[in-house]
Amino acid sequence: MKTLIAIKEADCAWMRETLPDTHPLLAPLCNKPFVEYLIDFAILAGCREIRLLSDGPLSQIEEYCSNGSRWGIELTYSNLHPSDEEQELLRKNRKFCDTGRTIILSGYNFIDYDKTLDYRSLASIDSAGAIASCPGGSITLAGPPEPSLTDQPLPPVGLTPVDDLKSYCRIAMTTLETGSSRYVLPGYGGEPGCAIGRNVTISKTAQIHKPASIGNNVRILPGAVIGPSAIIGSNVIIDKGSTIKESIILDNTYIGEQLEIEGRIASKNTLIDPESGVTLAMQDPHLLAGINGGATALVLWRKIVHALAAALLLLLLSIPFAILYPLLRLRGKWQDGHSIPNAGLAESIASALSLDRYPLLPGVLTGRLAIIGSRTHENRAANHAGTDCRPAVFSYAETEAWAATESDAAIVERYHALHSTPLGDIGMTIQALINRIHYRNPT
Amino acid sequence: MTITETLSSGITIVELCGTIDASTAPELQRHQAISDPTQTIVIDLARLDFLDSSGLGAIIGAARRKEESGANMLLSCMNQKVRRVFDITGTVRLFHIFDETAAAIDYATTLRKSQ
Repeated sequence: MKTLIAIKEADCAWMRETLPDTHPLLAPLCNKPFVEYLIDFAILAGCREIRLLSDGPLSQIEEYCSNGSRWGIELTYSNLHPSDEEQELLRKNRKFCDTGRTIILSGYNFIDYDKTLDYRSLASIDSAGAIASCPGGSITLAGPPEPSLTDQPLPPVGLTPVDDLKSYCRIAMTTLETGSSRYVLPGYGGEPGCAIGRNVTISKTAQIHKPASIGNNVRILPGAVIGPSAIIGSNVIIDKGSTIKESIILDNTYIGEQLEIEGRIASKNTLIDPESGVTLAMQDPHLLAGINGGATALVLWRKIVHALAAALLLLLLSIPFAILYPLLRLRGKWQDGHSIPNAGLAESIASALSLDRYPLLPGVLTGRLAIIGSRTHENRAANHAGTDCRPAVFSYAETEAWAATESDAAIVERYHALHSTPLGDIGMTIQALINRIHYRNPT
Repeated sequence: MTITETLSSGITIVELCGTIDASTAPELQRHQAISDPTQTIVIDLARLDFLDSSGLGAIIGAARRKEESGANMLLSCMNQKVRRVFDITGTVRLFHIFDETAAAIDYATTLRKSQ
């Protein structure tokens, strides 16, 4: 038995508007791409060959699903015409459908399957035709019946159209509540109703209320409250004291401090009300923002750029350091890890040139430190453990005039750690150097 | 590029082999069955190794002219490399694409009868 999955762009145009960078078939439903639910059902029905058809681009799906080997199936791709009905689909894929039984899953619909039940009897049902349908499509059997693989009668199969954000949200929440007892869901779960992905950091003072699903690479900071009924995607940071309840936080989203999100969908800097469809694009990136994926190549590129900048600073400051360091040492004005007081001419010059940071620069060459990131020299690193902490010679907070208090500095550092670019870091390092002159020698 | 033309059930099948790029696209445009706007044809792409934008433009231009005069151009046996070109350019919506030539011929015959 084989399966044709046919999705027309017109069926999921609304999802394209909500998630413009993601193919609607890859839109996460309880942290699992939508297409995987369709594939799961086809596999439960005993199909080992599946063809995905669309009148839109499929390259993103092909990149994700590849040849289907991860599911132990053979997955192929083809295209359909927007006017194609089921008979045309069968005709255009005649070689694939061959002479056996074919299941056609058409439309952008959610299939209410149960992984514990046996759907292989679909192969041997005598009559072809729709076994389930809804306004947005159907599950249709075509071709002659095949020998029965099971004695079990066909379990009920439901089909729910996913035709707007409201239905998307409702289905996601139902799937979350039903949990892994019915669907194959990602993440590890020590107890029912809670699934947690890989590389997730949860603060001791954060609370998780079931049901909740948390994706990969997630940081939940102190005081945050997750759930009940919260779906947190991958590459998400929930900052201190924020509450996420009956909401979906999509991938690559930063939720700022002390926010209360209830009954909403958050995607990067956009907050959506699924009931009314109203969207709100937040302008303040400290409240709600997108997170750039931390690609390995970017990390390497950043290290190279920072190392070059550190080498240049080491070279430029070597002579002033060689002269002033012994002098300040002898006068007892130099203390490792502390700022240089503005007491005299030598101290002022050393302070203006940021010579107190000079001993840290070799750490950038070895990759232990970044040229700019989170401050380490004032013992603040302990409060900043995690992926957004980048121990460094200079601090992002030193580039901002307003970040005077510890908490202000922490916000600035966390924001720039997530949003800065390697070349942008160099500009910010220069800014930090200038600011240090200005704030140490106000005239 | 090699163009082979055969006839089946009164439908012309044009098989394209090799490469269609800027240097060979004009030859494709001049081909009689392809350039004739009144003739419904099936283009078999199974042995087409490479298709660039000029080749795609030639195919789309010919298909548009045929459609305007009530004829059709059907595509069959598209391999993954060629399908990728149609996919990324968003031109798949313009064509009826079949996974075997015989099915395309049947479809073309049905279309001709219904006209």
